[in-house]
Amino acid sequence: MKNTRHNTPQTDGPITRPTPVGQLLTEGERVDISRRRFLEAAGFSFSLLALHGCSKSPVEYAIPFTDQPEGFIPGQARQFATTCSGCAAGCGLLVNVRDGRPLKMEGMPEHPLSHGGLCAIGQALPLGLYDSHRLKHPLYNGEPSEWWEVDKSISGVLKDLNKAPGKVRFVTSTVTSPTLQSSIDAFLNQFPDSRHVTLDADNCSAILAAHQQTHGARILPRYAFDQADVIVSLGADFLGTWISPVEFTAAWRTRRIPTKERPEMSFHVQFEGRMSLTGSNADRRFRLAPDEFSGVLNHLYTALAERASLLPVSPTRDTPHASETRATLPIPEADLAALVDRLWNSQGRSLVLCDSQNVSEQILVNAINQLLGNYGKTIDIERPSRQRQGNDGDVVTLIDELLSGNVSALFVAGTDLTHNLPMTDALADAISKVRLLVSFSERSDDFASRAHFVCPDHHPLESWMDAEPVSGIVSLCQPLLAPLGQTRSVLESLARWSGQNSSALEIVRATWERDIMPRTKSAAFQPFWDQAVHDGFVEVTPPASTAGEFRTEVVKLIPAAGAPGDYCLSLYFKVGMTDSRHAHNPWLQELPDPVTKVTWDNYVSVSATTAAKLGITDGDVVRVAIGEDGDSIELPTLIQRGQHDRVVAIALGYGVKGTDRFSAIGPQWLESRLTVDVGEPVGRNAARFIKSFEGALHHSRNDITIQKVGRRYDLATTQEHHTLEIPRNVAPHGAEVRDVVQHTTLAAFALDPHAGTPVKHGESDVQLWAEDHPKKEHAWGMSIDLNACTGCSACLVACQSENNVPVVGKDEVRRQREMHWIRIDRYYAGEEDDVQVSHQPMMCQHCDNAPCETVCPVLATVHSSEGLNEQVYNRCVGTRYCANNCPYKVRRFNWFDYAHEDSLLNLALNPDVTVRSRGVMEKCSMCVQRIEQGKIEAKRQGLPITDGQIQTACQQSCPAKAIVFGDMNDSTSTIHETQQNPRRYGVLEEFNFRQNVAYLRIVRNHKDEQAHEGGQHV
Amino acid sequence: MSETAPSLRPPLITGDKSLADVTRDICAPMDCKPTGWWWAAFIVSVLALILGVVTVWYQIATGIGTWGLNKTVGWAFDITNFVFWVGIGHAGTLISAVLFLFRQKWRTAVNRSAEAMTLFAVMCAGIFPLIHMGRPWLAYWMLPYPNTRGSLWVNFKSPLLWDVFAISTYLLISAVFWYVGLIPDMATIRDRSKAGLRQRITSLLALGWDGSARTWHRYETVYMLLAGLATPLVFSVHTIVSMDFATAVIPGWHTTIFPPYFVAGAIFSGLAMVTTLMIVARTTMHLENYITMNHIERMCLLMLSMGCIVGLAYGTEFFMAAYSGNGYEQFVFKNRAFGSMAWAYWTMVVCNVCVPQLLWIRKLRTCLPVVFVIVILVNVGMWFERFVIIVTSLYRDFLPSSWAHYTPSLVEFATFIGSFGLFFTCFLLFCRIAPAIAIAEIKGAAHLKKPPARVSIVKENAA
Repeated sequence: MKNTRHNTPQTDGPITRPTPVGQLLTEGERVDISRRRFLEAAGFSFSLLALHGCSKSPVEYAIPFTDQPEGFIPGQARQFATTCSGCAAGCGLLVNVRDGRPLKMEGMPEHPLSHGGLCAIGQALPLGLYDSHRLKHPLYNGEPSEWWEVDKSISGVLKDLNKAPGKVRFVTSTVTSPTLQSSIDAFLNQFPDSRHVTLDADNCSAILAAHQQTHGARILPRYAFDQADVIVSLGADFLGTWISPVEFTAAWRTRRIPTKERPEMSFHVQFEGRMSLTGSNADRRFRLAPDEFSGVLNHLYTALAERASLLPVSPTRDTPHASETRATLPIPEADLAALVDRLWNSQGRSLVLCDSQNVSEQILVNAINQLLGNYGKTIDIERPSRQRQGNDGDVVTLIDELLSGNVSALFVAGTDLTHNLPMTDALADAISKVRLLVSFSERSDDFASRAHFVCPDHHPLESWMDAEPVSGIVSLCQPLLAPLGQTRSVLESLARWSGQNSSALEIVRATWERDIMPRTKSAAFQPFWDQAVHDGFVEVTPPASTAGEFRTEVVKLIPAAGAPGDYCLSLYFKVGMTDSRHAHNPWLQELPDPVTKVTWDNYVSVSATTAAKLGITDGDVVRVAIGEDGDSIELPTLIQRGQHDRVVAIALGYGVKGTDRFSAIGPQWLESRLTVDVGEPVGRNAARFIKSFEGALHHSRNDITIQKVGRRYDLATTQEHHTLEIPRNVAPHGAEVRDVVQHTTLAAFALDPHAGTPVKHGESDVQLWAEDHPKKEHAWGMSIDLNACTGCSACLVACQSENNVPVVGKDEVRRQREMHWIRIDRYYAGEEDDVQVSHQPMMCQHCDNAPCETVCPVLATVHSSEGLNEQVYNRCVGTRYCANNCPYKVRRFNWFDYAHEDSLLNLALNPDVTVRSRGVMEKCSMCVQRIEQGKIEAKRQGLPITDGQIQTACQQSCPAKAIVFGDMNDSTSTIHETQQNPRRYGVLEEFNFRQNVAYLRIVRNHKDEQAHEGGQHV
Repeated sequence: MSETAPSLRPPLITGDKSLADVTRDICAPMDCKPTGWWWAAFIVSVLALILGVVTVWYQIATGIGTWGLNKTVGWAFDITNFVFWVGIGHAGTLISAVLFLFRQKWRTAVNRSAEAMTLFAVMCAGIFPLIHMGRPWLAYWMLPYPNTRGSLWVNFKSPLLWDVFAISTYLLISAVFWYVGLIPDMATIRDRSKAGLRQRITSLLALGWDGSARTWHRYETVYMLLAGLATPLVFSVHTIVSMDFATAVIPGWHTTIFPPYFVAGAIFSGLAMVTTLMIVARTTMHLENYITMNHIERMCLLMLSMGCIVGLAYGTEFFMAAYSGNGYEQFVFKNRAFGSMAWAYWTMVVCNVCVPQLLWIRKLRTCLPVVFVIVILVNVGMWFERFVIIVTSLYRDFLPSSWAHYTPSLVEFATFIGSFGLFFTCFLLFCRIAPAIAIAEIKGAAHLKKPPARVSIVKENAA
């Protein structure tokens, strides 16, 4: 029943716990009992009581359903469709619910945005749901309270506000939900001076503002990466954290797979100051500080305008020629010329993006895209995205209003206002003077701890909600279990304070009946609603476009700024963490950053040259300050390959209040160190560096200084050696670089699809015992397309969630004892100016000639008849010989008993997978529980297993569809097909381990036939 | 046992001793109160042992995570100590069994303590594979015993299982061999002691030894047979231990030279340990007339030859790596010598190959303090040899992403110290309760002063 989807158990009301046995009499119901009946019942009861005395059985409270929900089988997972709430991207979710508890998030394959993928944050949702630190009651001045009390007090204050007008401000992160938006609007309409302010920590405000100027509408366009032959991104980390990474990865991936027949792929250029995940996947990457973006944009615009014979740009000023705009750029002339050529030749099939918060730069980006004819082709403004609506201007105004003391009520939902703003003492003071501060936070976050009332919202998996992430795609969130605490949907709270008493379901249904259904062809509401709940999303007619014609007159080249500072601070968001929302999720805290591989911390990353200049190395604590003695922060250094020498990068979203709870998260023993010192948060909040300038919040600034403090701090990284090159002093001649990640270039691939195969000595097909592993029925195999894999690490958390992989804490990661069954190896190659990065997911390779199997003295790791390398936890005595002998080092040992004391958190454990005890070895099982379930289901139905019916957790989650799993005996399967792919190779296959996991070689879109990656070409 | 030209060889016992003198001298430590030195050594050893017991208890109660191991380096101090102690045991067997078969009479002065050392060393060694397990309480699963778990059996392909058999066989044979050699001496002690606990225990242990020709005949036959049985063990045990590594795929482990290399190394380290103990015993227990400079010199020469064999093995490994054309293999050896753990490699080379070369010089090998320093360094070097093989092969293997470092934890140091505590506690007790030199054997081998006429020949021979 795994792949069938269900309506909510009870669609006509909020889900309640199962009704206890017996029909309860409701008030007012009449009971007719005759004297005879009474005596009968009394006699029966007495004899029963007497009999009861004879029984010795323990009292049990196994309560059956009086009405068994349709299709419910105890122990059997059922999938419900909903929408991911990890960020505003609104990916489609199928949640595996088992015995009333949501366990595993799966991407929804039919979803028009995410296409079945899911990111690490989405995968980590269950841990947030079962978090025992979530608020269970509303808070009144920090003390637990009751809803009626809170409602009464808030309503009282609100009534006063109506009498004596004051400013009411409602701050949220981007609201994609039509229902929530209308609720907020309705709520705010009660007050004479009210405004809804949208604050996105990861804002795209400038893009919206630029479109306001160029197209007359404040919209965020929808980008079609699947239509783009040339992608030029200036700092936009669209595969990692920018707007909608899963959607973008899925689209980007479609143009990255060259085949023998069509050796074509998109050309992706990234200009950036730090090394982002997107930059690490680019074909060509240029180091460029954020304050140099304007120069490149000026040049691209001028050069393209010259091609289009559109000059002069603006009649009011003299425009320089392309040769002049190029002169000051730190990028080789030939490269720029080639890029302009490529763009010009890909009109309507290119895409230029920028993550700048500078409106004039975004206007130039729009102008370039307009010149290239990308609007309407790769950039959709008819059906724009609603995934980022943050408006910096509003936020800046709000800060001014707060400072001038005019705000009398401040409501904050979906964001931690005071964590995400550059706080000053004056602002904190001003906020404390606001008459009514209400937070809807799930936790006692920074703003909530200042608020008078905290009205905790449900976890998104507990409540009804909807979303319209992209115009015309409306999706639903449905509750999958009864709320675990006495929380209340923000919809209900707002309704209550507006004088209504409706439930969240009623409110959502009302919006859908009123606003959504009319946008479809449906006539009857109930069938439409049922179908929508079942499917999770509906495609509806988008509202009429508000975008007008492109206004050339607003386009201006950006005048050169003054002399740049010594450094350029670049604030960014980490994959898996983004803003502070997920800081309480230990899976995400322990997720290695896809590029730096650091867990549990943020840090100051600098280039090797800058580090040498400052006299610092990895782990030296530095003080970064605004100016000489302004606001400062002390963080450890991380030297980052490929980073611009002037750029100093710090991740936002750390230093979150309450994360000191993770202090003792790992095993505690004689020599262990705390994950964070008692009372200290995980990482430090760098929001103080956000620069409020010209009505916008900027994530980069030039006026910083950086100083060595003299302390050291060990960052917890999961990878110590970062290249495939052997250190020069110990490199053997001719084997300086290991060919475990194979590369080729598109040009070479076009000539020979097998290009990039290393020269092998002798026959590798000779088998001593060829028939040693007959796999008569199934031969499970996996292949990973390294060209599609971006390294986003969604698979890590998917695996962690599916397989009950424990969190071990910072100290254990430092000791290199992280437990992830799948890891992503990241290798750098090449020179600083052109660093090539490869990502290689690595998990148990399920070797047929497995080195681990022969050495186990107790046969705790054995080979299955279907090609799986199986680990028998019960039998394992923990000699670790198998791990030593594993060439891929994918085996993980339970060094300690990892914590399972939190009984609420334990609800997130997958009951299909053993929780391993101390002293046993574990590793990737290729989700053997899913394979067995698939086989059982196929057998029950009397059908053969179809390709794709069984999916491993990592494969299911992969937004890039890089992982293929299946039965290699099935000649029609995709995995069978990948075995014939000319790019296929096995890691260390020359050793004849005969792995069942294969990789598809990386092809970079280079014109040279020689890869230039530290001599990796053959 | 024909005597050939005794005058050409230096005497085995100096000091013009009579048979009775021999008995008296050797039994002296058992008759008198222990010296201050003994007490000092004993207290230190027992303290170390207690430290070891406490840390092992802590580690079993808490988890192997209390060691410095990680995802890449799964063995370090544990298996290093195991191989180190097993290796030490080998010299005991070599001296008592192999040299016995080769009729090397000089062995009689040292064989008893060497055998005792073997026994205690193998005991120490056996602890490490046990406690290195994640779940040591299930260690019995390593034994192929009939069980009720269906057809659940052990993996006869696994070298670790071979280890179980090798080590348990070795421990058994060593114990039996040692005990059988002790029987005549137990009879001597029985006959010398007054009625009491000691006499009762020794008479039990002497198994009714009456010194008759028949008893001697049986004894000699059994001893010869056991020597014959023990001899292959000198080679097989460490060969099997070496296969833990040789059959693995890890570069630096996967090499065919390991069996002879390990056996030579084992004997080398064992000789060093025997010599260390001999020098200590000779000095503290006044056995200069029994453990003569001649003995020390012979041990030194054996060590010199073993040191050279080990040096050759080190060189051969490098040659094979270079010759193999296998980049992974070449890297491991270059990395050992010049990588971040090169200090361990060069400690090993200096201690095991360079330092023993001093023994070519007669003056140095007959100078006790110099020999003592050299044997201690060889002990250190041989420990590092195992450490280098295990850790420097593991910490940087195939995929650079998994390269790691290894830093031992306090618990590992304490456990290692504890194993020395166990060893020396046992050895010091042995010195007090059993003759440290085989009385009967040394009497048979050495040319002694004729016994005084008034002593009964029969009785003295029995003793």
